[in-house]
Amino acid sequence: MAPSASGEDTLQTAQRVLALAGEDTQVTVIRERSLLSRFARSAPTQATAVDDTTVEVLVVRDGHTAVAATNRLDDDALRATARRAEDAALASARSGPGLHPGLAQPAPVRNHSGFDVETARLDPARAAAALREVFAAAAEHGVEAFGVWTAGAVRTAIASTTGLALDDEVTDTFMKVVCRDAGGRSGYAAGTAVAASALDAATLGRRAAAKVTGEPLAELGPGIYPVVLEPEAVGLLLEFLGMLALNGLAHAEGRGALSGRIGTPVAAQGIDLADAPRSERTLQRAFDFEGVPKASVALIQDGVAKGVVHDRRSAAVAGGAARSTGHAIAPGGSPWGPAPTNLVLAGGGAADVAELTAPIERGIYVTRLWYVNTVREKETLLTGMTRDGTFLVEDGEVTRPLRNVRFTDSVLRLLAATEALTSAQRLVSEGEFYGRRFAQGVVCPALRAGGFRVTGATE
Amino acid sequence: MTDPPSDRAGSATAPMLDLLTGLMASAPKRCAYAEARHVATDSEGVLVRNGHVEQVDSDASGGIGVRVRVGGGWGFAATREATRAGAERALARALAIAESQPVAPAGPLAPVQPARGHWSCAHERDPFDVSLQDKLELLFAAEAALRGDPRIVRSDAACASRRVRSAFASTDGAACTQERLECGAAIAVIAVDGDELQVRSYPGAHEPSAACAGWEHVLEFDLVGHAPRVAAEAIELLTAPPCPSGRATVILGGEQLALQIHESIGHALELDRMLLDEAAYAGTSWVSPADLGTLRYGSEQLRITADATLPGGLGSFGWDDEGVAAARTELIDEGILRRALSDRQSAAAIGLERSGGCARADGFARQPIVRMTNVSIEPGDAGTLADLVADTGEGLYLETNRSWSIDDRRLHFQFATETAREIRGGELGRLLRNPSYAGVTPRFWRGLDAVCSASEWRLWGLANCGKGEPGQLMRVSHGTAPARFRDVQVGVA
Repeated sequence: MAPSASGEDTLQTAQRVLALAGEDTQVTVIRERSLLSRFARSAPTQATAVDDTTVEVLVVRDGHTAVAATNRLDDDALRATARRAEDAALASARSGPGLHPGLAQPAPVRNHSGFDVETARLDPARAAAALREVFAAAAEHGVEAFGVWTAGAVRTAIASTTGLALDDEVTDTFMKVVCRDAGGRSGYAAGTAVAASALDAATLGRRAAAKVTGEPLAELGPGIYPVVLEPEAVGLLLEFLGMLALNGLAHAEGRGALSGRIGTPVAAQGIDLADAPRSERTLQRAFDFEGVPKASVALIQDGVAKGVVHDRRSAAVAGGAARSTGHAIAPGGSPWGPAPTNLVLAGGGAADVAELTAPIERGIYVTRLWYVNTVREKETLLTGMTRDGTFLVEDGEVTRPLRNVRFTDSVLRLLAATEALTSAQRLVSEGEFYGRRFAQGVVCPALRAGGFRVTGATE
Repeated sequence: MTDPPSDRAGSATAPMLDLLTGLMASAPKRCAYAEARHVATDSEGVLVRNGHVEQVDSDASGGIGVRVRVGGGWGFAATREATRAGAERALARALAIAESQPVAPAGPLAPVQPARGHWSCAHERDPFDVSLQDKLELLFAAEAALRGDPRIVRSDAACASRRVRSAFASTDGAACTQERLECGAAIAVIAVDGDELQVRSYPGAHEPSAACAGWEHVLEFDLVGHAPRVAAEAIELLTAPPCPSGRATVILGGEQLALQIHESIGHALELDRMLLDEAAYAGTSWVSPADLGTLRYGSEQLRITADATLPGGLGSFGWDDEGVAAARTELIDEGILRRALSDRQSAAAIGLERSGGCARADGFARQPIVRMTNVSIEPGDAGTLADLVADTGEGLYLETNRSWSIDDRRLHFQFATETAREIRGGELGRLLRNPSYAGVTPRFWRGLDAVCSASEWRLWGLANCGKGEPGQLMRVSHGTAPARFRDVQVGVA
């Protein structure tokens, strides 16, 4: 198991709570320590440090689940929390048998390399140094820097009446830089890793600044264009694919975009997509929120749909040979289903993005996407904007900055129309951290696809 | 009704207020400003799905967040340890973080009258006094009324309740406590036939249509009574003709108009965005501080207020999270932009004499940032929805949000709704599936030519407004009445 730098034994806490609870109970204890520094106009603006421990008590009664949570760790509060969960589960059970298959049995979990002791120190001096490096890089280019540097250490323990006694600690770090000139032109670069030492702030600053050019903005009207998507844009689209097509519950209920399509071609032959939680390039975890070991799952192979991810709840709904793949995102499984959290899209044969743009006569180069939302679930039809580095591609070369465009297109259609991918992949993340910190990212290359549907542009 | 602030601290929060005021009294002199908040939140969510209890979750958590300013640098530290020792450690951590920052400009904060007293929102029946059995009984009845057609693959009935008790103290002399109670409920179905999938929700798509109110708010929805219509419309949508493409006159229903205001007015008028503080995440704004007082934002029918004193609003409070008293602010009058949403720092940055009272934080572990309160369109004089439809002749009536997206300057947007109804000859006609519309903010709002009267005006709660890093989900309300827009691009998706 990964070593702890926190000094608090979360597993002992989980076992203490379990002793206060009744039968068929799982206790999940999560300690988050994190530090986040924001900056704007090449100056620090906000800095947030969080130290919090959440205890979640899951009780299963006759196929019904109830979860009660608290962050008070005294016995009285923990006993009251356990009682709340028990009472709620019993009240639910009065409605008749439920569908939950019960708590997970112990299974071996693997060690991983998703923890870095230096990062877990959350030293504000490291954050300050990263900011200074970015400010200097931006100043060299005559632009201002905006963005965030953050690091977190999250320790998760699970104890259950079925004998689970698990403990895991992970770290993550994320930095994004938006460089902006006086006219509002902007460029973006970001990095994410297990260890803060793996992020090179100055390089990120220079990459973001290099995307800010003073040339006049070109404009493109609505239409169909070939597109090159950088890994940040690809990663966000794949996260949506995870929700809409690879979620085992949606799939089992017939709502999923791959429902009825497993074993059939859904993407170009060069598309190999997996959830690979054991890959050292991802943000690894040992087990999911039901205590099930994280398993690798082939999702699309050679363009053919192969499978979806499951938690115990969705596997029970799916029936047959379906089993949890270790993708529960909440104790007892989320009502919204499981999710792939370690997506890896295999690279292709292109040496770099220049090779991707080379065959394009007139098209679009996209650094990142913004405010993407689902339009029609079964079609994986999304809409969103480009942002912080959109360029026109003419005669095989990136030529001019382009006014941000709105796209309305299907992720599966884009994957089916993918013509080439870079060999190099990058771990990308949105780094948003709403609620309890749960860092996740997608490992993916840049790609070129045909027929990108532009439905508008901003002004 | 919303209670006016009283002089007495809430009994549940008084000991914590003593702790925080003591902490502020001991804040080191090197700290130019400090504030401390204790927030304790109780929440419960219940979901019945496809005939089974799918979820019963509850949470009782709290802690202290301390924010300090040293020179121009800010530091914020949050801890679950709600003790004097825990608070002192958080204060020390916040100071260490602020002092480690690269040098930042030390601009002023807008002055504030120290917040004193206690505020709470009134309610008739505390939702935490309603038994889980009674809640389940209501939800089972509503959910059962959604089922029947095999094409309905998911039927949901849900309710949620939330109580937030807070105490706030600052080195500016603030010492106040607040207690808010919220609840809401909703029903929704997903219908699938082959590759076609349709959704229908009531009373809104953004769960769970909450208000700052008691259980009486949930009972007013009559979920059981509306369920058969919701299910029938979802089934009808599966085979309804698609929404046509082109330009049309549209009437937006109240919930969709709430989101339209939220995305294309509320966020655009956040002063921190205008000042580029959010440029790396939430974005900037097409509006600049220099536009205040002169910019034509929309037609003369457009009157927008931000009102943190509205009874029932999720954005209502006694004081914001910097201790600034709740206020009603005219943002847009007869289409002209008047004011922005601000906190103490952004207000001072553009020379305003006082904050707009819009600093809000998501729980104890996040620091306050500029947020909407209750940003609403004022009622017009177009009568009822039926009157407006009758006056319209030809067009589309769009209802209940399904998809939303807008650029990082809040200019180009695209929305989809669950339903559209044709308007022909001044009457509502057949249902159309997959409706969508797009536009550019000032042109769209200049197309506004009628707003229904006060009898149609109500608050819509949105509990999932994302902003800030680390991410914060804020709860806001928008008052709307159905309104009509001319020459809108429809059928874009």
